[in-house]
Amino acid sequence: MDRLCSSKDNPDWNTAPKAKRMSALQVLPCTVSQLLGSSLLQHEAFAIGDLELHQVSVVGIVRSSCPCATYNQFCVDDMTGPPLTVRQWTNTDSESSDPLEPEPGVYVKVHGSLRELQGQKSLMAMRIRRVSDLNEITSHMLEVVYAHQQLFGKGCDVNMNVLPQTHKGSNTAGFSIVQGQVLHVIQQHSGKSEGIHLQDLVTLLDYINETDIRKSLAFLTNEGHVFSTIDDNHFKSTEC
Amino acid sequence: MANIIDVPKPRINCSMLSQYINKAVCFVGKVEKVHPSGRTFTVSDGEEKTATVELNDPLEEELSGVVEIIGLVSNKGVIMASLYNLLREDKGNTFDLQLYNEALKLLHDFPQHYPYEAAASG
Repeated sequence: MDRLCSSKDNPDWNTAPKAKRMSALQVLPCTVSQLLGSSLLQHEAFAIGDLELHQVSVVGIVRSSCPCATYNQFCVDDMTGPPLTVRQWTNTDSESSDPLEPEPGVYVKVHGSLRELQGQKSLMAMRIRRVSDLNEITSHMLEVVYAHQQLFGKGCDVNMNVLPQTHKGSNTAGFSIVQGQVLHVIQQHSGKSEGIHLQDLVTLLDYINETDIRKSLAFLTNEGHVFSTIDDNHFKSTEC
Repeated sequence: MANIIDVPKPRINCSMLSQYINKAVCFVGKVEKVHPSGRTFTVSDGEEKTATVELNDPLEEELSGVVEIIGLVSNKGVIMASLYNLLREDKGNTFDLQLYNEALKLLHDFPQHYPYEAAASG
């Protein structure tokens, strides 16, 4: 049910800004516009949609640089919006300090976390690296779209056309309401390698009779949306 | 008037110029011909189409290779450049303009995952 709660149709969406997903182990490639547009959560972290941000990476050109005693501050522009302020604490021990002092006009890749300082969003940099191969600008553009599509996209067909999203109660293109319901529940349980057992499906969809569920399963299997896994009673969705 | 740096500058190629008239854009292309006055030059994109760029101040240096230009698109589809930046070849890595062209088309196909917007900061 957690995934249903994260749908924007849920009336609790606006009153409970708690992220449903954590990305602690990921460095998410982002655009400056995505970072500036992210929402502030209760515990001073930021989120894009329902994903709490931890480490992010941006690639952009340094517009201005302002080194201070304890930190370097500069603005990075990736063309998606106004430049983003980036701060990097300078360490007194030379071993761990990054020798890079970014000059304006240089393309850099910054890894760090988003912070709010003096009412403005800025990036607290863990690492700043000059981009030596400018094809990295292109690869970052692609990585942003790919990562965000994986996390926030709702599935795509072979031509990269986004498939219509399945919402509870709505009629998905080409499916009857019952088929759409059955598919939706199977998709929700496709995180497990064995998928969902038929009995659990019947229990969850208690408002649909078992015969109709079985007929839908047969249809969905024939159409290639669903397949059986460890035995004939376990089903998993083929779609992402 | 807002500084061009502070607004979104969608990456475009020649085919998209007509959709961005009077808007700020970022154009990456290969320098083709520089006018003797130094005030205007042509650039080609990853699809080998050409666009004209006009500068406020004449060029003070030799311009060649791949350049990234930020400016407004005029009614005639000319890029009125505010700034430009050479994407210099470093350690033998040539900027792949065709790949960049494919990537920028992808960005336009997925605006929900690569937004160009002046979202309020803070």
